[in-house]
Amino acid sequence: MAHDRKFRFGVQCLRAASAKEFAEQARRAEDLGFSSILFPDHFVDHPLAPMPAMAAAAAVTTTLRVGTCVLGNDYKHPVVLATEAATVDVLSDGRLELGLGAGWMTVDYERAGLPLDPPGVRIARLAEAITVVKGLMADDPFTFHGKHYDIDELDGEPKPVQKPHPPLIVGGGRPKILGLAAREAQIIGINARLTAGTGEHESSTKSLNPASTDEKVQWVREAAGDRFDELELQSLVGFVMETDDVASTAEMMAGAFDTTPEEALDTPVVLVGTIDEMVERLQRRRARWALSYHVVPIEQMETFAPVVARLAGT
Amino acid sequence: MAHDRKFRFGVQVSSAADAAGWRERAHKIEDLGYSTLFMPDHFIDSPFAPMVGITDAAAATTTLRVGTLVLGNDYKHPAVVAKEAATLDVLSEGRLEFGLGAGWQRTDYDALGLRYDPPGVRVDRLTEAIAVVKGCFTDGPFTFVGEHYTVRDYDAQPKPLQRPHPPILIGGGAPRVLRMAGREADIVGINPNLSSGELDAAVVRSSVAEQTRQKVEWIRDGAGERFDDLELQIRYFFAAITDDARGLAEAVAPGFGLTAAEALESGVALVGSVDECCEILQRRREEWQVSYIVFGDDNFEAFAPVVAGLAGT
Repeated sequence: MAHDRKFRFGVQCLRAASAKEFAEQARRAEDLGFSSILFPDHFVDHPLAPMPAMAAAAAVTTTLRVGTCVLGNDYKHPVVLATEAATVDVLSDGRLELGLGAGWMTVDYERAGLPLDPPGVRIARLAEAITVVKGLMADDPFTFHGKHYDIDELDGEPKPVQKPHPPLIVGGGRPKILGLAAREAQIIGINARLTAGTGEHESSTKSLNPASTDEKVQWVREAAGDRFDELELQSLVGFVMETDDVASTAEMMAGAFDTTPEEALDTPVVLVGTIDEMVERLQRRRARWALSYHVVPIEQMETFAPVVARLAGT
Repeated sequence: MAHDRKFRFGVQVSSAADAAGWRERAHKIEDLGYSTLFMPDHFIDSPFAPMVGITDAAAATTTLRVGTLVLGNDYKHPAVVAKEAATLDVLSEGRLEFGLGAGWQRTDYDALGLRYDPPGVRVDRLTEAIAVVKGCFTDGPFTFVGEHYTVRDYDAQPKPLQRPHPPILIGGGAPRVLRMAGREADIVGINPNLSSGELDAAVVRSSVAEQTRQKVEWIRDGAGERFDDLELQIRYFFAAITDDARGLAEAVAPGFGLTAAEALESGVALVGSVDECCEILQRRREEWQVSYIVFGDDNFEAFAPVVAGLAGT
């Protein structure tokens, strides 16, 4: 079924000082009209583990969706992951959005002593993991003999509330991973190119500008074929600044994104300007790239709230 | 610090029909005076995933402690497990009891397509995992280079709320794992010997009174002076409130290859009237030092009067 491409918004949450603050923030996001709270999955500088964080967030809210953006596939066996994800879906009454990625942050692998395989191997493993997760969430016993995972007649438990399975988020910045996402996921993250193994690398920042975004969406379109209309496209908006002087910021960003100041302002990971300008830019981005699902850092949810009030559900 | 060996009680549960049912039961367990809700970790016939399930149970309650009984170490990397445990400890305001075991049920390994290593290897790996988990829980970066895990210069976040770390529960039924538990754990679960990889007659036989006494000695060997600090736990798999314990034992015991007397004295069986069960638990606390008693989903309500009579004494 074609996706309506109506705007919705999420918050990305990396840390919690206490249980009380965590619950208050999740409830606040819900009250402000955000659709989801999403948790990344890293060993360094990300002091919350996504599975318990999702369970706790769902328990203190009623409509807020909970998700991952995204789980590193190499950190857990997909049978374990599917069982945990389905449990979150059951205990949240069907509010899970399951984000899965190939794993990319070099430091995660180094700290935990995990082998960091070449990107092609990690993506192939992710593709198998997606098959395993979907297979275990389906109704019948599941058998899969892949190169990386070997599952024999396993009837996954519990079954998720959302059928056939909770929406899968798969994201990336390169053709292979976006192709996989386009074929297998319901929500596609249009992300930076992360082959350098760190988000701070120049190649990663430059890969975010509008020209690169055109290219990425085109890859998704080509791989998705007829499915494209059913997909929801998502962007992380990591930098939100309300200002009535965009010129100087645009100038500064142009260098980082390797583009013109005007194009820098249309880079999907930033949103700079007055509330009116932000609203207008998001509408332009939806028209240009079909991006309708935007995720902001939870620290910026108050700044961003007027945009949510204007656009959510339209 | 020496443990007071006062009685407390837990319930091991693994699923519910839906979210409302799960929370309702967590409330009931809390209201009946139980200290802890535990979840097992299996992939067959044990539907909910433990870390998610106990997080939800903690969120639904206010004082109930939550724990794993126990996580199978081989299913997840200990750095992942430690991070989840610490997150849960923070989000539950310090109510986690962290149970970790070597993994034993062969069907779980088959389900994941994992190699089922000999018990010695699994216990070695568990021993290393405990070191990794403690390293993660401790302030500052640590490095651990073992045969199974290598962790380098890693300052895990978050740190748990309970200091130095949430109580670590290690269970087992064989000498090596129980000696290790005596050295490393805060709570030691006295389990059947599960080295056959399935629940068979040998498992039942391994829990008769004489064997249970032996297991306590293994823990004592491993613990040395620490023994007084430990809390010892038994999960009663065969528990019933009845006025005719003898009759029940005579009917059931032969099926397990035991005499009625052996069954009644077994370290995994608790059968009798409320008063008799209270007396049995008091006697066993004297003999075995076991003060932490865990029931199952099927009988925790029936044992509520025992909890009311003994908890905190």
